[in-house]
Amino acid sequence: MKKTMFSLFSSFILVTSLFAFGCGSAKSDVIKVGVAVPLTGASAEDGNAIKNGVKLAAKEINAKGGINNKKVELVIEDDKGDPSEAATVANKLAQDKDVLAIVGHFNSSCTLAAAPIYNQTGVVSVSPGSSAAAVSKAGPYTFRVITTDAVQGASLMNWAVKDLGYKNIAVLYENTDYGSGLADVITKSANELKVNIVAKEAYEVGSTDFSTALTKVANSKADVIIVGGLYNETALIAKQKKNFGLEKMQIMGVDAIYSDALLRLGGDAVNGIKMTGYFSEVSSDPVSKNFVSKFKEEYKKDPSTYAAYGYDAALIVFDSIKNAGTDRKAIRDFMAKIKNFKGVTGENSFDENGDVIKQPLRLIIQNGKFIVTDK
Amino acid sequence: MFLQQMINGITVGGSYALIALGYTMVYGILKIVNFAHGDVFMMGSFFGLFCMQVWEMPYYMAFPMAAVATAIMGIVMERIAYRPIRTADSLTVMISALGVSTFLENLAMLLWGTGTHAFSNFSGITISTYKFDNIVLSNIQIGFIVLSLLLMIILYFIVNKTKIGVAMRATSHNIKTAKLMGINTDRIIAFTFGIGSALACVAGLLVGIYYDAVYPLIGYSYGLKAFAAAVLGGIGSIPGAMLGGFVMGIVETLGASYISNGYRDAFAFAILIIVLIFRPAGILGKKEIDKV
Repeated sequence: MKKTMFSLFSSFILVTSLFAFGCGSAKSDVIKVGVAVPLTGASAEDGNAIKNGVKLAAKEINAKGGINNKKVELVIEDDKGDPSEAATVANKLAQDKDVLAIVGHFNSSCTLAAAPIYNQTGVVSVSPGSSAAAVSKAGPYTFRVITTDAVQGASLMNWAVKDLGYKNIAVLYENTDYGSGLADVITKSANELKVNIVAKEAYEVGSTDFSTALTKVANSKADVIIVGGLYNETALIAKQKKNFGLEKMQIMGVDAIYSDALLRLGGDAVNGIKMTGYFSEVSSDPVSKNFVSKFKEEYKKDPSTYAAYGYDAALIVFDSIKNAGTDRKAIRDFMAKIKNFKGVTGENSFDENGDVIKQPLRLIIQNGKFIVTDK
Repeated sequence: MFLQQMINGITVGGSYALIALGYTMVYGILKIVNFAHGDVFMMGSFFGLFCMQVWEMPYYMAFPMAAVATAIMGIVMERIAYRPIRTADSLTVMISALGVSTFLENLAMLLWGTGTHAFSNFSGITISTYKFDNIVLSNIQIGFIVLSLLLMIILYFIVNKTKIGVAMRATSHNIKTAKLMGINTDRIIAFTFGIGSALACVAGLLVGIYYDAVYPLIGYSYGLKAFAAAVLGGIGSIPGAMLGGFVMGIVETLGASYISNGYRDAFAFAILIIVLIFRPAGILGKKEIDKV
């Protein structure tokens, strides 16, 4: 009995010392960065795009010798787009003292669930995809490189009303927090710009039949449709509008519809759609050009807008670590002061809430490509 | 706008009616609700797309092919998932149906991915619209309504005027007695599943062509509405399912159009509840014209 106890005890000591040794040696020669995005579940496509963007950024910096001569190592976790899973993953990453900062999470609900954990342990997270207004108040350690829906919605309305001269606006939006939030922003700026909302129709995510809504739009004398939704439904609206005599109707949206799927599903019907966004794969900007060609080379497909956000979030994290060293709080303090950091989605600065400030681009689809336009 | 919305409602109602027929025929004979029927509709749509995309068939060959394939799938489904437990209680059958539903959805996601697919790239059908005053009709819309009505008339003829129709009605009245009278009830049940699945496939193809989209989970909302339409019309009654489908399509469209588009589904189910309060057996669900 005594003997067993002793051998158990000694093996326990051996195992724990192994762990301790493992951690100690890792600390000295690599820099660990956490990546917490949905790799399975409904948001998996966007989550994987972000992961690819971050991996590309890490590969590039390692090829140049890493950060301060230390290689970057990514710790990739799957939050499944589920807030409770996000909290588990956040705990895991925050407890690992070698993880200096985190790129994540994607869904606003997940970012909000993880934020208290990051704030408590004092590790910074940079979200590449959470655009809900509530994320502003998530705490000092939560940053994001995507603007709120309000910023894009207001900018879109300025474009539509001031530059394109539309006076009667129809809004079709999905029946979710995102869609109705965007519809509210558009209604509010329509009031400020003194134009009319002549139709405001909600639809369920996954709807295929837009005949009722489009008939109402056709009877409302609207001169533009603004979509507060995602690419699948936007493609269907663009295709079905011609059934109701709306061939010439202009469709506008925000960058949530920027996706290959919009072009694939919409075909010719989506040509001419205008949207605000921060990333264009045919941009002449050298940083974007480099990113797009490297991404295509690495993954044999076009980068989506979320891949670009993932890449930018990683660049900001790497830059902060490079300048602030390996102290988690110093990294956060440096990041808060970043001004006009050039990424592929524009020049990033952060306000006091950790929300990014940058000017959206104006994009139009021409011949199945997203092109930057002036008007 | 009223006439235009009526046409929109009849179009979507036609698809509900075609799917509802499958629910009501199976219920009429076996007294079970085949919850996998919405997914049969989805698979039918994908079969048609597959024939056009991969085998590059023109639509007039691809559609009959898909209908036959879906009918066979329906028969196989009955053989594997329902026949072995035909004498078990209805709860067991319901669980089995939910299992089939989950299986088909995941199979479709494995085979074709989770994304939305467009028909227009492969069908070779171009939409042309005709304008009368302020009503716009498209060729596909007309085809949609004509084809769904035609299929319902053919079905009505089969059930009421042919030998196999007599056998179907006999089986639905009393399965044991029908067996004693020398009717091969297993064959009749398989035939019913086959017809119901083929009609669901046609609905899937029409929806695919008209709205130009199909995705693996599309069967959920269409299946649920069509089931509600079958109950609304009086489940077990074939004319009831047809009427229920059109009533549901028109009510939800008019509600969405004059009250709020956001509550579209709510109108569909509200009319169901209202009708069931006053006529618990559904609109045409009387004892006399009950069942297949």
